[in-house]
Amino acid sequence: MPSQPPLPPLLTPYLSTQPESSLTLISSILGATSNWLVLRFLHAALGASSSSNASFGLDELPNGIKRKVVLVSFLRGWEFWRAEAKRLGLDLARLADKHQFAFVDGLSELFTSADAAPIAPSTNTGGAVRISLPLRSQPGAVPGRGPPSTVRAGRSANGEGSQREPGIAKKLHFSGHGVASLDAMEKDIISVIDQQKTSMEDGDELILVIDQPDFLLAATGASMGIGATEMAEWVTGLQQHVHATVLTMAADSPLIHNASTAGNQLSTPIETEHAAFAIGMAHRARSVMQLRTLETGAARDVSGVLRISRGGGWTAEAKDILVERELLYYIQRDGGVRAFGRGES
Amino acid sequence: MAPVNLSHRRTHNLLLISKLLSLRDTASPLTLLQDSLEQPAAPLIKEYIRRAKLGKVHVTLVAFETLKQPEGVDAFVSTRRKSPADIVKEVAAAYQSAASTGPSRRRLIIIDAINPLVSSRRLDPGFNLPSFLSSFIAPSDPLAGKAEASLVVTYHQDVPGLPQQNPYSPSPLSVLTYLATSIITLHSFSHILAQKAARNRSLAAPVFGLEEEQDGILLGRLDKLVGTGAAEGIVLELEHRRKSGRGVLEWYILPPASRYSPLHVKEVVTLLDDNVLYNPPLEPDTNPDNEEPKSTFELGLTERQRREREGVVLPYFDAQHGDGPGEGGRILYDLGEEDDFDEEEDEI
Repeated sequence: MPSQPPLPPLLTPYLSTQPESSLTLISSILGATSNWLVLRFLHAALGASSSSNASFGLDELPNGIKRKVVLVSFLRGWEFWRAEAKRLGLDLARLADKHQFAFVDGLSELFTSADAAPIAPSTNTGGAVRISLPLRSQPGAVPGRGPPSTVRAGRSANGEGSQREPGIAKKLHFSGHGVASLDAMEKDIISVIDQQKTSMEDGDELILVIDQPDFLLAATGASMGIGATEMAEWVTGLQQHVHATVLTMAADSPLIHNASTAGNQLSTPIETEHAAFAIGMAHRARSVMQLRTLETGAARDVSGVLRISRGGGWTAEAKDILVERELLYYIQRDGGVRAFGRGES
Repeated sequence: MAPVNLSHRRTHNLLLISKLLSLRDTASPLTLLQDSLEQPAAPLIKEYIRRAKLGKVHVTLVAFETLKQPEGVDAFVSTRRKSPADIVKEVAAAYQSAASTGPSRRRLIIIDAINPLVSSRRLDPGFNLPSFLSSFIAPSDPLAGKAEASLVVTYHQDVPGLPQQNPYSPSPLSVLTYLATSIITLHSFSHILAQKAARNRSLAAPVFGLEEEQDGILLGRLDKLVGTGAAEGIVLELEHRRKSGRGVLEWYILPPASRYSPLHVKEVVTLLDDNVLYNPPLEPDTNPDNEEPKSTFELGLTERQRREREGVVLPYFDAQHGDGPGEGGRILYDLGEEDDFDEEEDEI
C-alpha cells in the first residue's frame, strides 16, 4: 500500500484548528486506541516546524502562528511517544530541545517518590515509601502497572539514575491526599507550561494534550478523596493556562454504561466516577472524537470508526464551523493512517 | 388534537413560554433545565442571555463548567475551589456593585451545571441544596435590595450521581424537580422526529447516544440533516407549576439562533404541534368524486344495469304486504328463456 500523508486529508480540518480555550475529547475503547489520533494532533501542531527544519527560519504555520505542545501522559511513557512520533517523521526529542514540545511523564514515577525511584526498580522495595500513603496497601492498587516497572528497569540499566532524562520535562508524583495532591501535580504541569510560555510571542498557541487522565482517577479514587468533580476541576485549572486542550479518555461500555443505566443497580464506585468524569468532560468539550470498532466485526481493511460530534461546549458561533461526521480509518503496518467515508476506499 | 384546543394552547402557552424565557413578572423563580449530551442546554442559555439583554436584566453566570465569560453576561463567577457559601457571597457581591451605580434591575442567575457541586467530595455533609439555591433568590442580607431574581439551573441528566451518603435523603435530582417552579427538558428536534416517525409505524422508538449502550459511543448526534436545515432546533418540554398549583405541560420548539437576529423582539418559540415537520399538514383530497378503489376490474354499473337493479323487489318487501300466512315472502321467480329448469332440483 502506498505510504500515507501524516495527516489524513479528511481529518486535517479537525486536527489543525483549535479555537481558544476549547476542549477536545477523544474517547477510545480497548479495540480502538487513541494513540494514533493524539500523534496526529501533535503532528498538526508541530509538524510544520519539524518538516521545515531543512529550510531555516520557516518554522511557522501558514498563518504565522507558532504552536507549542505540552503532552501529559499517564498511560504511556516517553519512549513510546518518541518512537511512534518518529514513524510519523516527528522528532520529539529535537523539538523538546527547541522548546517547542514538552513531555510530562505521569506514568513512571507517579506513585513513587522522586528519591526512591532510582534505587527501587522492583515494586517490592517501595514499602518504605508507602508509609505516607497508607491506603496503597489495599489490594488492587498496585497490579496492572506493568509498563512502569519495565521502563524503570530499562532506565537503570542505562545507568542514567536519578539524572533527568532527555526529553522529559517533568515527572509527576502523586503524594498526599485528596485535592492537595492534585494541586501539587497541577503546579508541576503549570510550571512546565510557564517554561514553554517564556519563549512565546503574542499570538502563539500552546496546546495541552492530556493522555488518559482517567487512569489517575481510577488509581486514586474515592478512598483518596478524589472523584469526578475534583478531576474535572483539575482539568479546568490546567485549561486556564493554555490555548486549547486535548483530552483522551476510555469509553468502554462497562466504564460508561454500568453506572448510567436506569435503576443504577450495583455499579461500583469506579464505574460511577469514570462515567461521571467522561460524560462531564463531554459536556464541556467543543468536539468529541469517538473511536470504536466496527459493529459488524473485524475487517481486513478497516481498523475502526471515528465519529466526530459537537460536544456540550460547542456554541453556534459563525466562525466556529464544526461539521459532524463519521469516518472509517485504517492503520497500516507502517503506522500510516487512512481515513475515508463509508463505502469509499 | 382538536383545533379549538390547539388555538387555546397557542394563545395561552405561547404567552407562558414568552414570559418564562423573558423573565417577566418573575413567573418562575427557579427553572430547572434538564439536558443531556444529545441536546445540551447551551443554546437555550444563550437565548436566556439574549432576552435578558433586551430586557436590561442583570445576568450572573455561576460557572461550574464554563471557562470563559460568554458574551452578554454581566458578572461571571468561577466556582473552582470555592465553598458553596463563598459562591453565594460572590454572587451577591456581583450584583451589589452593579446595583449601587445604576437603578434597580431585575436579575438572572444562571448555574451552568449543578452536577459537579452535588457530587463533589469536598462537600460539607451539612450542605443543604434547597437552602443553597434559595440563598441566591432571596439574599439574607436586607441591604441587597428587593431585586427580583430568577434562577436557572442546568442539570445534566446523563451524568451519574454519587450514591447518597444518607440512604434516606432524596437524590439531588428529586430535590431539584420538587423545588423547581418550571422544568424544561431539552430534546433534539431530529430525534423527536425520528421517534415520531417510528411511532407512526408502530415501531419501537429509536434511541441515541448513551442510551444505545454501544461500546465507545458517547454521542449519537450527527447532523445528517445538515444542508436541508430542516430539522434544526431544540424541542423544549415544559412543565410549569402555577401559583395556584395547577400544572401546565407543553412542548415547544426553539429555532436555531442563526434564524433570527439577536435583536429580534417578537416571540420565536412556537408550539411543537404547529411545526410543519412534526405535524405535516394533511394532504387535501385532490378529487372527491373519485372515491372508488382502483382495480383492473370494472366495478361500476352501466345505466341499464342500475335500472334493472332498482327494479328488483326483494322478498322481504313482499312479505310486508301481509297477504295471509304462507303467502308473503315467497320467492317468485320467472323463468327466463335462458334458464334451464331442473325438476328434480326444485322438488321439495
